[in-house]
Amino acid sequence: MPIAKTDRKPPRVLLDKKRGDQLFSAILILPTLLVTTIFILVPVIDSVIKSFLEFKVRNIISGKPGEWNNFENYIRLFNGGKLLPAIVTTLTFVVGVVLIQFILGMTLALILNSNVKCARFIRSIMMMPWVVPTIISALIWMWIFQPQYGLLKYIVGVLTGGAVSDFAILNDPGTALVGVAIAALWKQIPLTTLLLLSGLQNVPDDMLEAATIDGASRTKKFFAIVIPYMKSVISIVVSMAIIENFKQFPLIWTMTGGGPNESTTTLAILSYREAFVSNNLGSGAAVTTIWMLLMIVVIFLYNKIFPKEDMS
Amino acid sequence: MKKYMKLTAAALAAAMALSLTACGGGAGSSGSTATDSGSAATSATGEEAALGGEEVTIKFANYALLESGYTEFWEGVKTGFEEKYPNITIEWVTAPYGEIVNQVINQAGGGDMPDMMFGESTWVPTLVDAGLAIPVSEVFDEEYLNKFDQNALESCMMDGEVCGLPMYDCAFMLFYNKDLFEQAGLDPNTPPTTYDEMLEMAEKLSQLTTADGNKVYAFGQTTSSVAISGSALNSMIFNFGGTVLDENGQLSIDNQGFKDAITMLKTLDEKGYNPQNAKLKDLRQLFATGQLAMYYDQSWGFNGVTTINPDAANFAASAMPLKGGDGDGASMLSGQILLYMDNGDAQREACRLLTEYMLTEDVLGDYIRNITPAYPVIEDMKDMELNPVLEGARDATQNAVNSPSIPMLNDLNLELCTLAQNVTVGGADVDTAIEDFRSAAQNYVA
Repeated sequence: MPIAKTDRKPPRVLLDKKRGDQLFSAILILPTLLVTTIFILVPVIDSVIKSFLEFKVRNIISGKPGEWNNFENYIRLFNGGKLLPAIVTTLTFVVGVVLIQFILGMTLALILNSNVKCARFIRSIMMMPWVVPTIISALIWMWIFQPQYGLLKYIVGVLTGGAVSDFAILNDPGTALVGVAIAALWKQIPLTTLLLLSGLQNVPDDMLEAATIDGASRTKKFFAIVIPYMKSVISIVVSMAIIENFKQFPLIWTMTGGGPNESTTTLAILSYREAFVSNNLGSGAAVTTIWMLLMIVVIFLYNKIFPKEDMS
Repeated sequence: MKKYMKLTAAALAAAMALSLTACGGGAGSSGSTATDSGSAATSATGEEAALGGEEVTIKFANYALLESGYTEFWEGVKTGFEEKYPNITIEWVTAPYGEIVNQVINQAGGGDMPDMMFGESTWVPTLVDAGLAIPVSEVFDEEYLNKFDQNALESCMMDGEVCGLPMYDCAFMLFYNKDLFEQAGLDPNTPPTTYDEMLEMAEKLSQLTTADGNKVYAFGQTTSSVAISGSALNSMIFNFGGTVLDENGQLSIDNQGFKDAITMLKTLDEKGYNPQNAKLKDLRQLFATGQLAMYYDQSWGFNGVTTINPDAANFAASAMPLKGGDGDGASMLSGQILLYMDNGDAQREACRLLTEYMLTEDVLGDYIRNITPAYPVIEDMKDMELNPVLEGARDATQNAVNSPSIPMLNDLNLELCTLAQNVTVGGADVDTAIEDFRSAAQNYVA
């Protein structure tokens, strides 16, 4: 029996598949865009605008808008003699901590990846500094570095046979930044190690075995196989470390307050002092604008020098 | 199935976006509630509202509640006052000492300004400059204010108006350890009166060690990077007859007293008498444990000492600030004060009642005698018994002077700390360090 033809129309489609997918993608991405715009872009733009204004706490209280002050915030910062030393201190701190953090983190990751006994236990213990709040870390290290009754003073005294009895790392402008860096490393190395360890475990065994059969030394295998395969992990780890240390504030503020003799005054400390000690939010915003630009330049240079490569 | 997954994902995305809108709405409605209550308070007649049946809540910012030893007193004030005035409730706003000013500023910026604050006289410039602290003459009548020590009131002055009410005061004074004096062969009842005498005694005191072999520091002057250390350094400059600011709030450091004080800091450091870069709390710790023979502190700092070592009262005594160079040993007056903010007549009236309730010997007497040793500033309490440790410096407040208040006083104080660190841990010579200080400090004076 022949099937009767019907005049049934195909269902009406408001959008074709491509447009529908595009709209759907847009809906999905909307919350992220909203969050980014409201909580990141708007405050950043607002901060940059305020950096050109005479804007103090009383403006917030009274609701009066800030007044354009002819680059006065920037002029005062550059003439005040504190900005350039703060930039140098920030860069010194970032470069020093990130380098040592990477070297020690990689060393620990290699040890943990080498079937060492109790690796899981060591990994668990090792993560403890990472979970300690930064302020508590700062207080612990201040206690260790305390110049009159601190643990470090005692250890140095014992190791030098009593020859050095007044070692006070945070009191000397030449060593205070090192003291803060030690605390920062103690806190940050665990995460670096964990991330690098996960990268190490993804290096293909067959490549390493083939290199071993070909007679490659451990060093050769490390630099010719392991490092290239870990490039993307290393890139993320180092970028995270740069950003973390660029914006390091609570550790430094708690341990030294920027002293002694301004030797630990980084851009973060300077920004806080301008905004919340001097109550000059415009000037604080000027520091953060310079700070943000500097961080963008550093990350840009880093990505230029170490471009990401896809080993797959 | 794909269609349902898409729908679910879209619904989740919409929920997230809506939750954002909801947060915004919440903030807005909370803001409007604050405004409503504010306007209601302003419309009420102050005394009627506070004394009558209308419920009034005083938002009282107070860092001391978070510090051991003080909580009991302040909770006692709240209980006693609320019993006396059942229609007035005290609501605490707390934050640690170093954060309370920012807490109040942020809260006020968000439309939720506290009514009253417990703080220090050095906070007056910041809070007046922020447009928060109001003159006390807007809260109290002249008759009541006349009962206060005028020097203490002047320590809270900004732009010609008294903007804080002192609860009690002190000058930076010398605390010394009588036991260590005896061990060094010195008379424990004859503390030094001049810096020269102090240096002579310090030579003997610095030879001592504690029972467990730790070094004893002879003399402590705080130099760490915190604003209160700057006030202590300013006080030391006054000891030598020097100044940092003139009466118009302009930089005035070209005087011998200023240079002598900075030179003394360098001498103390070179001789190893002064613990380097120490905060007041570090000095209190050392003093409490018998590792510091003499040090400068505010009277209430002694509470920090007894918290660490309750037996400290047995070996501690106070003495008048030292005289140096051509100075007469003047010191800087320092007060713990109450500040008021304008949230309308009812709130102001309630704050007045609370203040008048607190500043009596019945309520405050035991507190300033035993808990936070200090000197009374109100006429009715002048004859009260003092903490025995403070007897030696009883006249120090009479010889104390006030530093002119400028809006950027905190910055100036931090620069003084940097100057002190520059000549001590930085190893700079005095003249160079003073010139560095001059160029930095000029940014902070009008």
